[in-house]
Amino acid sequence: MWKTILRRIIIMIPQIIILSVLVFILAKFMPGDPFTGSITPQTDASQLHALKVQAGLYDPWYTQYFHWVVNMFHGNFGTSYQFKEPVMAVIGVRAVNTLWLSLFTVILTYLIAIPLGLLAGRYEDTNLDRGIMFFNYVTYAIPLFVFLVLGLWLFGYVLGWFPSGGSVSLSASGFGSVFSRFYHLILPGVLTALLSTTGTVQYLRSEIVDQKHQDMVATARAKGVPERKVFSRHILRNSLLPIAAFMGYSITGLLGGSVFVEQIFTYPGMGQLFINSISNRDFSVITALVMIYGILALFGTLLSDIIMSIVDPRIRIK
Amino acid sequence: MSKKWSIGAVAVLAALSLAACGNSKSASSTSSKKPTLPLSYSSKKKAISGGTLKVAEVNTAAFKGIWDNALTTNAEDTDMMQFGNEGLFAVNKDFKIVDGGAANLRLNQKAKTATIKINPKVKWSDGKPLVAQDVAYAYKVLANKGTASQYYTGSIANIQGIAAYHDGKAKDISGVQVKNKRTVVLHFKVMKPGMKTSGNGYFWETAEPYHYIKNVPFKKLASSDQVRKHPLFFGPFKLAKEVSGESVKWVPNTYYYKGTPKLKEIDMQVVSPDSIAAALKAHKYDVTFGLGSSTYGKVKNTSGYTFTGKKALAYDYLGFNLGKYDAKTGKNVMNKNAKMADPKLRQAIAYAMNIDAVEKKFSNGLGSRLTTLIPSAFSEYQDKSAKGFPLNLKKANKLLNEAGYKKGKDGYRTDKNGKKLTIHLAEMQGNSNTQAIVKNYIQQWKKVGLRVTLTNGRLLDMNNFYEKVQANSKDVDMFEAAWSLSSEPSQMDLYSETAPFNMGRFVSKKNTQLLNKMDSEKAFDTNYRVKAFKEWQNYMNKEAAYVPEVEVVQSYAVNNRVKNFSLSNASKDFNWADVQVTSNSLSK
Repeated sequence: MWKTILRRIIIMIPQIIILSVLVFILAKFMPGDPFTGSITPQTDASQLHALKVQAGLYDPWYTQYFHWVVNMFHGNFGTSYQFKEPVMAVIGVRAVNTLWLSLFTVILTYLIAIPLGLLAGRYEDTNLDRGIMFFNYVTYAIPLFVFLVLGLWLFGYVLGWFPSGGSVSLSASGFGSVFSRFYHLILPGVLTALLSTTGTVQYLRSEIVDQKHQDMVATARAKGVPERKVFSRHILRNSLLPIAAFMGYSITGLLGGSVFVEQIFTYPGMGQLFINSISNRDFSVITALVMIYGILALFGTLLSDIIMSIVDPRIRIK
Repeated sequence: MSKKWSIGAVAVLAALSLAACGNSKSASSTSSKKPTLPLSYSSKKKAISGGTLKVAEVNTAAFKGIWDNALTTNAEDTDMMQFGNEGLFAVNKDFKIVDGGAANLRLNQKAKTATIKINPKVKWSDGKPLVAQDVAYAYKVLANKGTASQYYTGSIANIQGIAAYHDGKAKDISGVQVKNKRTVVLHFKVMKPGMKTSGNGYFWETAEPYHYIKNVPFKKLASSDQVRKHPLFFGPFKLAKEVSGESVKWVPNTYYYKGTPKLKEIDMQVVSPDSIAAALKAHKYDVTFGLGSSTYGKVKNTSGYTFTGKKALAYDYLGFNLGKYDAKTGKNVMNKNAKMADPKLRQAIAYAMNIDAVEKKFSNGLGSRLTTLIPSAFSEYQDKSAKGFPLNLKKANKLLNEAGYKKGKDGYRTDKNGKKLTIHLAEMQGNSNTQAIVKNYIQQWKKVGLRVTLTNGRLLDMNNFYEKVQANSKDVDMFEAAWSLSSEPSQMDLYSETAPFNMGRFVSKKNTQLLNKMDSEKAFDTNYRVKAFKEWQNYMNKEAAYVPEVEVVQSYAVNNRVKNFSLSNASKDFNWADVQVTSNSLSK
């Protein structure tokens, strides 16, 4: 298995190279440049020109690409045009914010979704199942941004139970700031988690319903295995496969961030950074982010495959 | 407040001035009379001692936290640091530099110098005095290539020796002379009448704490802790804490030269435009910055708040593609055969626009039609008798008939040679109303027989828009854009023969002559300059190469517990140090 993993990682190298060329060329194809957005009547065109020359924006793309790749190998993604700070510093702050929020959301999502899916599958066609399915349709139908705005309005402003924005309170310090951080996560985390359960609940339920009618389950029952054991041993393990298949993506997807949540809760994270960098043509941040996302996606698939091989003995990486 | 240069991005401005929500109820309630928002607000109740002021920065983007005027290029940072970031000079309501600030300015036309004398009481927030070296060092920060400052301009290069320093040919700037501990003398190549006004760009109006940053290499300055984490200011407040991209906490600068501020703390937080209305209704903030006119419409009757406002130093305009910019000679070249070359055609297009109706419908009473290219924030220089281009379809038709654009059977006019005439309008993405407003104007132009279509058939992204417009792309015949202005009204940077931002490339002898007149030595006499400005405005309206469209009132919510808040341009009318609150909780 280790050999396979190593081989998979070696295959990733050409994939990453192709990705980097595509990312770089596409970024350069965008009209405009990092300075367009900050032009005012006082901006001097010749100084702008000089700054662009200084930033290497007039070099041919392959020269720019070469510089970028060489720097990248030194762990240097360049300096952000907007923030005037090293790209990794800019991303670092936001990555931490996003990581906490995503982690909280993902854990909460599974905590809600797995029991719901199990119950619905086990008690198929009962009122409980219908109730859960109804909840599922509702969460599927509501657009995230509407739900977030409504939730913020109700719990943040009308009832005032939770902070209405930001990642930490200005006045918190020491241990208080850890608590404050968590307090700020609750509302966006819970609201997002509630709407993210749909897929998991649905998959789990239908898998359980499928598995219930499998021959091996009938055999187990015929052997006199107690119903509880039939579920936990024979049905559950098999039903979790599709969920396990997505686990790798979920883990690497933690850094993706959500534009909606971040925008509505003014929570500075990766999603907002990505969108703002695109609209301001902050090339160094855009390319760094896309590269990071790309590499994470590649590792996500690998991770999913490994998880699959652990939970499903039929699949063995050869 | 923002008595300095405005560094708002064009995109931000476009959103600001076009922003409006189709709330028909509130639109109809703002009948023909515009509500004039007061410039100041002060609670009548007794102030408490201390207190925390909560300020909201309404924005979709996180601020960047570059706490240095010479290095930051975004409006959010400027807003977030206003409590400590005081300029060197005091100004009056017309942005003229007057005595009484951290430093006084004396211009000497004959010697071509400006003498900056620092008030000996002024101290940085670490207790060290503000000295001449601090004022002088700011020019090195600006001009050194290492900082890559966008504020090194042709105007600042008017200081002797600064170009040599910029190019690395000199170690010091010969024209910036430290005369003694508290006096700096600037030597210019030419004197300009704009030097009397703040925001002129010929000299820098803030200082850098030399003792504090002298060991930081220029290249590393923007990312250094001295700028990012623990900046020094000589204004009323100092930065106590920052949550990256979210919020900042300011506490009194006990060394402030005008006396310790009254408030105990100011907290400023970025709030999404999506939730600011709910936040105000829940009484979360005392003061808002960057409130859009659509939000204003939703919250203007919220109890516990008074809305103040002032005319923005900005305007929207319609430009016409008349030529090209020759990068080699650095000059705009007008093409006499351009599609839009006939002033009568341009005037007709302007007269066909129903700007008044659009503003009444969408701006919640904050927007109004602008009648000249000088917005009314420049009350001294604006020609108040100018009529601009009020809706007049008859006149538009008459002008087009005179110019020889004949109407065909399909109701559309042909060009002067009888060929099909299609005018391409480049339009930037704004808010949800932009599309509707543009469609309305296209219908208006159809009424006078002009076929107008959108460039690319849709609204353009900001970068795409400016790339096309600045390159005078063939598929752009006219474009709607906006400018956010500096407080010095010279029009050279925008409309002169050598201005790259004269994006329509309008050039004429008369225009050059009038622009030069406005910035001439004689124009040091304000009366003469005002007259020259009026002459130019009159001329530009006749040529209609740029049609002034809209200016807006920027509104600010102020909670009723706040004392001594004002938007006045004059330094003597407002200082954050004087702001107080009358209770510990916000008025409901």
